[in-house]
Amino acid sequence: MEEILRLFPGEIQYAIKKGVGYRWDKLQEIRVRLHQPIELIFDNGIEWITQASPSKKDNTFIINQLSEFSLYRMEDELREGYITIEGGHRVGLAGKVNTVNGSVKAIQYITFLNIRIAKEKIGVATKVIPYLYKNKFLNTLFVGSPQSGKTTLIRDVIRIISTGWNHIPPQKVGVVDERSEIAACLKGIPQHNLGIRTDVLDACPKAEGMMMMIRSMSPEILVVDEIGSDKDVQALINAINAGVTVICTIHGQNLQELKNRPSILPLLEKKVFSRIVLLKGQTSPGSIQSIYDENEKNIYQKMGGLPNEVDRGTSLHKRDDMARI
Amino acid sequence: MKWIGALLFISATTWLGFEWSNKLTRRPKHIRQLINALQTLEAEILYSQLPLHDAFSSIARQIPEPCASFFQLVADRMIEKNSYFETVWNESVTTYKESSSLGENEKEILLQFGRTIGQHDFTQQQKHIQLTIKHLERELQDARDEQDRYGKMAKNLGFLTGLFIVLLLI
Repeated sequence: MEEILRLFPGEIQYAIKKGVGYRWDKLQEIRVRLHQPIELIFDNGIEWITQASPSKKDNTFIINQLSEFSLYRMEDELREGYITIEGGHRVGLAGKVNTVNGSVKAIQYITFLNIRIAKEKIGVATKVIPYLYKNKFLNTLFVGSPQSGKTTLIRDVIRIISTGWNHIPPQKVGVVDERSEIAACLKGIPQHNLGIRTDVLDACPKAEGMMMMIRSMSPEILVVDEIGSDKDVQALINAINAGVTVICTIHGQNLQELKNRPSILPLLEKKVFSRIVLLKGQTSPGSIQSIYDENEKNIYQKMGGLPNEVDRGTSLHKRDDMARI
Repeated sequence: MKWIGALLFISATTWLGFEWSNKLTRRPKHIRQLINALQTLEAEILYSQLPLHDAFSSIARQIPEPCASFFQLVADRMIEKNSYFETVWNESVTTYKESSSLGENEKEILLQFGRTIGQHDFTQQQKHIQLTIKHLERELQDARDEQDRYGKMAKNLGFLTGLFIVLLLI
């Protein structure tokens, strides 16, 4: 957690270190506001650090650390409102906004900071992967509400595909990472583990990026995050017809809801996706509700046998298989 | 004995005079160096888009002493843990002023410049650098005038003051 602590000046750094203690794995956010106590958000509640409220000087210190003393290099980041730092952590910014012709140019006085701690969950996708493969990897859509763990899941899928899985050799994966969430690139270097055969187009608009990727990097699998607009869907269909397997995510609760969206409907009608993975939702991030094939038939089997189950072959998990004991 | 003392006294005042005149000659030179350095900085920021630390290091390699060691000092101290940029800059400027022939005005200009650097976007940063260069150019003009006016005189004055006091005392 050195990469987060180094952002803070001595006193505050010490206070945060003490406040967090050994619970870095449970920490979700550190929120810093000018002249207010620092807020720590853990998985199971909020805590405040009251003894250190950042002064203007401390604020400048933090921003200097974020920008390597060079705010002028952060033009894009200040327009987007966030900075990605080492380790894939995301620092959200707010304050006084400067506009040009009504569109945001930059945040000028940065007075609110939200440091979101990135957590890579390696291995969450191992359960899903077998469903996505049938002679080759299949076009897959991940559906889930916000914070249901879509991006985390897709990140691990990328890692598994591009490092190889079981007998399947690693595949060339191209990632178009419009919101820099999948790879969390810092100067073009992914801060998360995406495997050895992954190429990333960071902060690139999806529709254009997909075509760029196909033209220039010849990926076997193309991954995009959060499709939605007509343009995205167009590009997606183009990509699929170019012989590339596409894996993508979309916001939504269930299939019916997706069908109500005019831009997405053609995708489902044309049966573009051979697998649609539905995630459970916020309460249990990353867990899967059902996986549909192209005929909207649920093929997801709950894994892990019942406790004390004896019949052989009921469970796909060796550890739950009691037959040979 | 008296003559030896008088000679010593005259040589001391002469040396002081030369030192003063040297300082007068060096000041415009140092200001010009500083202006050059700022112009390089502008290029590094606008075209190479280097972070400040790298920009300072690269300037330090391009310009002569004592300006080089000033930028190197700032660059080195910036990456230390827990360094507030303003403190680092102010302390470095003070050290720089002592090791060079810059005057109080230039120090003030530099201190003001330190408060703006790295806190703005490209256009504003450029404006601040231009403004600082303008200020320094004005100082350069003053320094040159002063050199013209007092440069030669300072040398003579040292010797003559010495002579004058010796004559008074004898």
